[in-house]
Amino acid sequence: MLEFRQVYKTYATPQGPLAVLEGVDLELRGGESLALMGESGSGKSTLLHLAAGLDLPDSGEVLLADRSISALDEPARARLRRDTLGLVFQQFHLVPSLNTLDNLRLQARLAGRDNAEWSTHLMQRLGLAGLERRYPEQLSGGQQQRLAIGRALAPRPALLLADEPTGNLDETTAGEVLALLLELVREAGSALLMVTHSAQVAAPLDRCLRLTHGRLGALTESGLMEPGLTQPEPSRR
Amino acid sequence: MLTAFATLLSHYKRHPGQLAMLLLGLWVASALWSGVQAINASARDSYARAEALFTTGLDRLERRDGEPLTRDDYLRLRRAGLPVSPLLEGSIEAPDGTQLTVIGIEPFTLPGDSDFAAAGTAGELTAFLTPPWQTRVAPDTLPALGMSHREAPGAEPRLAGLVEGRLPPLILAPRLPPDTLVMDIAAAATLLDSGERITRLVTAPEALEQAPEGLVLTRAATLVSPGQLTESFHLNLTAMALLALAVGLFIVQAALGLALEQRLGLLRTLRALGVSGRGLVGLLALELLLLGIIGALAGIVSGVWLARVLQPDVAATLGSLYGADVAVTLNLPWHYWLGGLAVTLGGLLLAGSGVLWRAARLSVLGLGQAQAWRSGFQRQLKLMSAAGAAVALGGLALWLWLAWQPPGEGLLAGFGLVAALLLASALWLPPLIALLLAGLGRLLRRRPLAQWALADLQLQLPRLALAMMALLIALSANLGVSSMVGGFRLTFLDWLDQRLVADFYLRPPVEQHDDIHAWLAEHDEVAELLPTRRSEGTLVAVERDTDTRELALPVGVYGITPGTALLPSWPLLATRAGRDDAWQAFAAGEAAFVNEQLAIAEGLAPGDRIGLTAPGGEAVLPIAAVYPDYGNTRGEVLLATPELARRFAAPPGSIGIVLAPGGDGAALRTGLRQHFAIGGDELVDQREVKRIATGIFERTFTITRALSALTLAVAALALLASLLAQARERRLQLAPLWALGVPRQRLVTVQLAQLGGAAFVVGALALPLGTLLALGLVAVINVAAFGWRLPLHVFPGEMALTLATAVGVALAAAALPATKLWRAPPRALLAEEAT
Amino acid sequence: MMRIAILAALLAALWLAGCAEEAPPGETAGFAGLGQEAGDFAQAHEGIRLSFPEDHAAHPDYRIEWWYLTANLEDERGEPLGLQWTLFRQALTPPDGRPEPAPWAADQLWMAHMAVSRGDTHRVAERFARSHSGQDDGQAGAVAEPFRAWIDHWQLATRVDTSDAPGDSFTELQLTAHQDDAHGGFGYDLALVAEGPLVLHGVGGFSQKSADGQGSMYYSQPFWRVEGEVTLDGETRAVSGRGWLDREWSSQLLGPEQQGWDWFSLHLESGHKLMAFQLRGGGADGGDYRSGTWIDPEGEPTALAPDEIGMTPLATQRVAGREVPTRWRLEIPRAGLDMIVEAPHAERWMDTSVAYWEGEMIARDAESGDNLGIGYLEMTGY
Repeated sequence: MLEFRQVYKTYATPQGPLAVLEGVDLELRGGESLALMGESGSGKSTLLHLAAGLDLPDSGEVLLADRSISALDEPARARLRRDTLGLVFQQFHLVPSLNTLDNLRLQARLAGRDNAEWSTHLMQRLGLAGLERRYPEQLSGGQQQRLAIGRALAPRPALLLADEPTGNLDETTAGEVLALLLELVREAGSALLMVTHSAQVAAPLDRCLRLTHGRLGALTESGLMEPGLTQPEPSRR
Repeated sequence: MLTAFATLLSHYKRHPGQLAMLLLGLWVASALWSGVQAINASARDSYARAEALFTTGLDRLERRDGEPLTRDDYLRLRRAGLPVSPLLEGSIEAPDGTQLTVIGIEPFTLPGDSDFAAAGTAGELTAFLTPPWQTRVAPDTLPALGMSHREAPGAEPRLAGLVEGRLPPLILAPRLPPDTLVMDIAAAATLLDSGERITRLVTAPEALEQAPEGLVLTRAATLVSPGQLTESFHLNLTAMALLALAVGLFIVQAALGLALEQRLGLLRTLRALGVSGRGLVGLLALELLLLGIIGALAGIVSGVWLARVLQPDVAATLGSLYGADVAVTLNLPWHYWLGGLAVTLGGLLLAGSGVLWRAARLSVLGLGQAQAWRSGFQRQLKLMSAAGAAVALGGLALWLWLAWQPPGEGLLAGFGLVAALLLASALWLPPLIALLLAGLGRLLRRRPLAQWALADLQLQLPRLALAMMALLIALSANLGVSSMVGGFRLTFLDWLDQRLVADFYLRPPVEQHDDIHAWLAEHDEVAELLPTRRSEGTLVAVERDTDTRELALPVGVYGITPGTALLPSWPLLATRAGRDDAWQAFAAGEAAFVNEQLAIAEGLAPGDRIGLTAPGGEAVLPIAAVYPDYGNTRGEVLLATPELARRFAAPPGSIGIVLAPGGDGAALRTGLRQHFAIGGDELVDQREVKRIATGIFERTFTITRALSALTLAVAALALLASLLAQARERRLQLAPLWALGVPRQRLVTVQLAQLGGAAFVVGALALPLGTLLALGLVAVINVAAFGWRLPLHVFPGEMALTLATAVGVALAAAALPATKLWRAPPRALLAEEAT
Repeated sequence: MMRIAILAALLAALWLAGCAEEAPPGETAGFAGLGQEAGDFAQAHEGIRLSFPEDHAAHPDYRIEWWYLTANLEDERGEPLGLQWTLFRQALTPPDGRPEPAPWAADQLWMAHMAVSRGDTHRVAERFARSHSGQDDGQAGAVAEPFRAWIDHWQLATRVDTSDAPGDSFTELQLTAHQDDAHGGFGYDLALVAEGPLVLHGVGGFSQKSADGQGSMYYSQPFWRVEGEVTLDGETRAVSGRGWLDREWSSQLLGPEQQGWDWFSLHLESGHKLMAFQLRGGGADGGDYRSGTWIDPEGEPTALAPDEIGMTPLATQRVAGREVPTRWRLEIPRAGLDMIVEAPHAERWMDTSVAYWEGEMIARDAESGDNLGIGYLEMTGY
């Protein structure tokens, strides 16, 4: 479903080049769920952007649905994204001009896979039934996040990318939303790549990897793949 | 407080674009306003000076037979107790080719009511009356004499072609009109070598009940007063300038709103840090004032520049259209500067009042803001609809009131009506677009991107509404005004074509008239002669059926020859029993025609009988037809030339010469010169007249075009400002869409389509509005200003151009933000999301 | 401004009151510039012999000159009327600075005043004109033989036909002047017959006007019998009465200090005539300068020295916003006269470009109150 092969990514900064990813290898199969952990600024978001085809690697290969994103032009990458991906952002990014229901069905419609039954089902499961005509700013934070999840799942994407989907929510709500997310991902049959810094959030997922110094490692018992992570990372911004 | 102020201003350091936009808006608005005001002020000053110089305020006497009056005539009339004063007028050429008007006056007898008394500077009368005399001259005439302001007083410029070679010593008289030299009649007589001759006699208005034997009395009231006529021209320019100012203030409003919105957090912080709400408003007001002064001063300076560029055209137009002398150089009174500053600052305060109001009511915690805007905008739309309806009702009331006014009245109300029309339409625009978007959104539910685009446009509407309104007003005004000017030109040139049927017009000296007529009549080259005559008369009675109304209206009496060349083309608006019948009765001397102005003013219709007295006789004649008489402000009665000669002993006037097919104009000219010593001045080529007329309109067009193009440019700037102001926010809204898989290319296309579509709608609305505006100008304002209406001409080309302009302007304005989106690295879109 | 310029210049032509405070100090030598140095103009002095009829005409070599006629009249019902007609001349340039005669060239300015008064009604008109001294066909002028002084259609001209026998055409004159106004117009058409000789004032016609010797050539015809018609507010009535004509010319009339005057001309019941004036300021020791002529019924003049005239204002009235003395005591011990001279109507303000008071007076004996005569008073500088 998603594969990283020796992916390197460096950003130019005023302080000089900053290596964010240094030879990342990753493989995620269909229906599999993977948690990606790491400190702030460890490159988690960059990895996610590469996975979504929002950015391109300097070297190495990112394969999405068996297609190398580097080989595609922008419109093709956008289409690929539209057809295969669901995206859940930390800041929800709902479309303020559309009401709840239209927001939920937006990507499905764009992808031409709008399914009214599934949408209604999602609305109900997300606890948004009855709020169809509301606009995003008229919803609570939890409702907005659930709507964002619903929008990502409405086209039943092959892969759901989620960036701290519960980061903006309080602990109780976060737990509920996470549970719901996993349940619906299973229902939709999607694979899941979720970035989080919380081990508690990562726990229910099939696998968990940690990003340190631009490299991926499996999560050890102690929570650290490599001890001695004291060397401070250069700040990215 | 200083720290707080510096903190507030630091925003512009981070966002210099906003500052630039603010200043740009202020600058452009005040430049256009002050530029037009400068032109107006300068022109008005010129009229005031011209009117002060007895050109309009005095009755005048001339000899019936067209011969010049002499000093003996003057003395004879004075000894008979008539309060006449001699005036000698002539022209001399300045070294730079300017024609200077020399006016010789007799200060003792010149009626005191004429403002000439105030035209000179205080000086010794003896110096004015005795050699070497004095030349009174306005400072703006000095360049033509090759003099500087400093060296002028007392100088005696040498002019070629003068008998004495030199002008009497110069005395500066700022209130004199440009290119006019006023001196004692003795000095003028010497300068012009006019001997005993004088140009005319003048008297205080109404001082004489009737013209003395052998003379023609022309009342001041019947002379064209440039002040009155040109007032509408200036009102036109002022309206245009106000429009530009309003449009410019839209920009300011948009920029200010954004600058505040982005500083809300900062303002809250300052409040939390202990700056009082009132103090904060004060600081913002100070910021406004600072910006206002900078913008206004820059604007006024550029306005003066703009005025200097346009001034020669304005001067030329006014000169040829109304015969009003306008200085080509600017003459700005002090209050102009202050006025420009005040208007700009006032406008800025108006535009900024909303911002200050919001700042004053700013909640420290900033709660409940987000939820409110949607319902707030709905409320605003309702308010706009209601206000639009109120303004429309006001306009309707004005229109009804105007319908009751006699023609030539209610010019201001006419402009009020047009303004109401524009304002109501502008106010209705956002609700209308919102409605349209909602409707379309429902129709396009199945097209997610289109639906999104429409919904998104609706979301942008509060921000774009003002700019769209500005665009609508600018487009309509552009279309309306160019339709009017275009229509005016078409009609007038058409009318000229119809009237100037002869190939040449000859104004022979009176004593040679009959000889020349006879000579021409025998000439083979000549197909037909169309002699005219002219006299002044009084309309004393109007009879309809059995009713007789008595009145005493001075009218022009004009005689034409209903020849075969003229008859088919002379336009008639209404006839008693058809064209042929009308001309037959006219030619037989059994009927008169009246012009449209007289018909409208006195409610005359074909079939009515009019009683007419003129020197030498009186007559009662039926009206056979009403004819259009564009450009004339006076009532005129038309008779066949022989009738005018027979009944009223009118002096012979010009002779229209229709050449035979293949006739040689040059040969005719040579013949006239050889036989009668008639030179170029007396013989006018019809093509030359048309060329001059066309030239006048071209210049009018130039000014109108320049001003409306500038207004349109300002509207485009307003749109650009609004778009730039929300560009960042727009990117934030577009980024998720892009992340959701809509290619950037399409996003850009959608953006352009959104704006282009909206502008198209605005342009489409501007078409009927502009046409309505043109109708208002020709049918309401023209009637109020001149007493006659113009036919409404619709120019499809102009309309297409308007639509194209609307879309073009919108796309041009959208291009910059779109390019920015296009150029932005993908990551930046999401990076922004992270901040 | 032009008007003001005209006025400023004409001030100098007037034997009248003015607005001295408006003019710069340099120009106000004496009242209204009448004290200006004569310069290149001809100078009036003792010893000049007057010669008639030539001296009835204008004297363009002198700076200023006037023909000043007043008349006390009665209509058929015995109601009193008064009238004034004055033609003033001023030279624009000294004789050697005159422009060549040309159609409009001017070296002389003319101003005329006319007034008709009856009861509280007082109508005033004013005219201006220019002329060249080399031409006598202008808009205004004064020629000797046959006598004619005119401006526009206002004129004082001889009725004697001199075409066959040239002679003195000054003994019978016709005065004609009319003016339209908002009240229906006013004017007069009067025949004047001289019932006595011309009277020369001062020393053979030289009348001293200040203690330091400035003066003018001054003669009068105080014996006019007047008959004719006067129109007032559109109403014409037949009138008759007595007239007084003053002729005066000079180039420097006043001393530099003199600021106004009070000037009496009286027809006494005894057949005597009295001319007496005082120039306020400019007398010996800065006092008032007085002068006058006592004329017997045959026209024989006796010049009165300054100390032979008593002139005391007794009461003032408010006229046109000013306090004007309208009741005087006039004492001429030499003629045995002690008179109260009083204006029956105070509203005689001449609201012309240069304003002054000019009106009818009644003279009574100071003790008995007996009527002694009638006349005119001119007061300037109030």
